[in-house]
Amino acid sequence: MGNKFLVAAYCCTWAIQLGYLLWMVVKWQSQKSKIGAGK
Amino acid sequence: MKKLLFLLVFLGVAALMAWGFDQAMFIAPTEATMGNVQRIFYYHVPHGMLSYLFFSINFVASVLVLAWRRSNPAKALAADAWALAGAEVGVVFSSVVLITGPLWAKPVWGIWWTWDARLTTSLVLWLIYVSYLLVRRFAAGPEMQTLAAVLSVFGALDMPINYLANRLWRTQHPAPVIGGDADSGMAPPIATAFVWNIVAWAVWGLLVLAIRVYIERRQQTIDGAAAQAALAAD
Repeated sequence: MGNKFLVAAYCCTWAIQLGYLLWMVVKWQSQKSKIGAGK
Repeated sequence: MKKLLFLLVFLGVAALMAWGFDQAMFIAPTEATMGNVQRIFYYHVPHGMLSYLFFSINFVASVLVLAWRRSNPAKALAADAWALAGAEVGVVFSSVVLITGPLWAKPVWGIWWTWDARLTTSLVLWLIYVSYLLVRRFAAGPEMQTLAAVLSVFGALDMPINYLANRLWRTQHPAPVIGGDADSGMAPPIATAFVWNIVAWAVWGLLVLAIRVYIERRQQTIDGAAAQAALAAD
């Protein structure tokens, strides 16, 4: 009974943390293209 | 060389995260009353503690923004990048707290949520920093950073209230297991897994914070160059 809540909690934690990291990668890439366009 | 160093640091952090996960899921003993669902503790509590760390970074950086905004604008801009990164990473960590908390409460208390002092002040803390980020996103003009810094200084007042909530008032949320009364504390194998997870998530959070500061500093350079180009075109 408790296990599905445990799995959900761990999955949500990783989804939030990796989602934020992914958002930063996207931002990083868009900056790179802006810097490239400015040169 | 820089890329290789970053890759090595990232792999080190990933190994530490895997070790923390192993400790929480497989090495720590199953708690007698709650069973396996108690293992949410190893993610929920470190995230709560570390959200204070990141909101404190936001607070200190915001005070520096206010102190330096006239005397040293370049330093104020650097402090502003730390303030933004602290708030964002803090919101990420406190979002995890607000999601894992109800997922632990439902099987143990029988309810997802209750408006007790600890839970309510946690939600208010999250809302304060989300509004801080919204102010930064939507307020226009050069005074945006000052406005956000002032909001941050007032927002930080909720941190001690949130921390003390289950010490000062009777709450559905359990009494503190660390620094609580004489009965508080953890069995050694549970404490070991807990400490490993605090260390792992702290290192992860600081790495993410450093990346975010780097990105924001680069954004400030891009925005500065764009503003210069616009002035030159006029």
